[in-house]
Amino acid sequence: MFAFAYHRPSELADALAALAASEEAKPLAGGQTLIPTLKQRLASPSDLVDLSGVTALKGITLHDDALVIGAMARHVEVATSPVVVAHLPALAALAGLIGDPAVRNRGTLGGSIANNDPSADYPAACLALAATIVTDRRELLAAAFFTGLFETALQPGEIVTAVRFPLGGEGTYEKYPNPASRYAMAGVFVWRGGDEIRVAVTGASQGGVFRWAEAEAALAAEFSPAALDGLKPEADDMIADIHGSGAYRAQLVAVMARRAVARLAAAR
Amino acid sequence: MEFSGSHRIASPRAAVWAALNDPEVLRQCTPGCQEVVQVSPTEFTAKMVLKIGPMKVAFAGNVTLTELDPPASCRIVGEGQGGVAGFAKGSSLVRLDEEGEETVLTYQTEAKVGGKIAQLGARLIDGTVKKLTGEFFTAFAAVVAPVPEPAEAAAGEA
Repeated sequence: MFAFAYHRPSELADALAALAASEEAKPLAGGQTLIPTLKQRLASPSDLVDLSGVTALKGITLHDDALVIGAMARHVEVATSPVVVAHLPALAALAGLIGDPAVRNRGTLGGSIANNDPSADYPAACLALAATIVTDRRELLAAAFFTGLFETALQPGEIVTAVRFPLGGEGTYEKYPNPASRYAMAGVFVWRGGDEIRVAVTGASQGGVFRWAEAEAALAAEFSPAALDGLKPEADDMIADIHGSGAYRAQLVAVMARRAVARLAAAR
Repeated sequence: MEFSGSHRIASPRAAVWAALNDPEVLRQCTPGCQEVVQVSPTEFTAKMVLKIGPMKVAFAGNVTLTELDPPASCRIVGEGQGGVAGFAKGSSLVRLDEEGEETVLTYQTEAKVGGKIAQLGARLIDGTVKKLTGEFFTAFAAVVAPVPEPAEAAAGEA
């Protein structure tokens, strides 16, 4: 690691001030990506602003029409929270599939979506559930927040403070994890409420998380796994690496989507 | 890793060729590029900052234009060293085809990234390199043939 100044404020305003004080300052949430990167000397921020002491970023609260989860909620808290399990069981199940217990004890919702790793799980839930990302200065729909591979609409010094998940409808998440890292090789979150259907795909595309419009249209006509027969995302747009080719990932997306639809259809 | 792409540029081929050999244009168009210095008619040194997610690594390297066939094609060969982070090298075969007043730029790129940055970012390197290459040629097309503002275009005609 390179040397850096460490801050651990307890007030949000102090955290924002510390981030604004230097162009090279970085917020530290759960550190599950940032700390390994620092250990490898692949980044050298001047200041690390640890957000774990900021109480305003914590907590899970139930409102009439939404569940609001603080940005610093750890994956294990979301996975085991009785209120999340009762009202958004698919989100709790997704959180329980992230990484391993060590990662789930440290990693956070806000850190995951601010990083927007193309293989992270939470971005799929945010898109499929049409969540609102709340930052220190504004609110953005998930579709406007995730802008590409590792890119979000966040401006320098802006941090995610909470995510508001609307209630209603029913959803489920199917993922094919990399056997070593548990990152999604392909993860598909399917949600439906009335006539509206959303299919969000993570892990597969070079552009990061995306809504799979063809699958949504097919499922709107007929909500069954068979409706997806023959549908696959474009293999050239998928991530190709030592773990699998683009064609392999496109196939995985199709299979995960069918499984998710089968599970939702069976649950009715 | 190999990939290709093409861009239509609303500018004559000679102008596109000149821009391709202009260090200031190269600097403007290369994502994260801080400096390009021309050391000979076909050789440049460059400094750039590569950002992939949480990683932010400074690279120093050089760029050489070879297989010159002005103004139709050339190969841009680059390599960079990022210290402990690793290295990147690659080349793009660029062809310029005239189509009336416009030029169609086609590129075929091969790239290799190695060292720590490739190990930690194995999932991400291909997508990032493709994205950066696409950004370079998109910016290049915009610099060579800026889309005129409607008002300016009208003024030009008057």
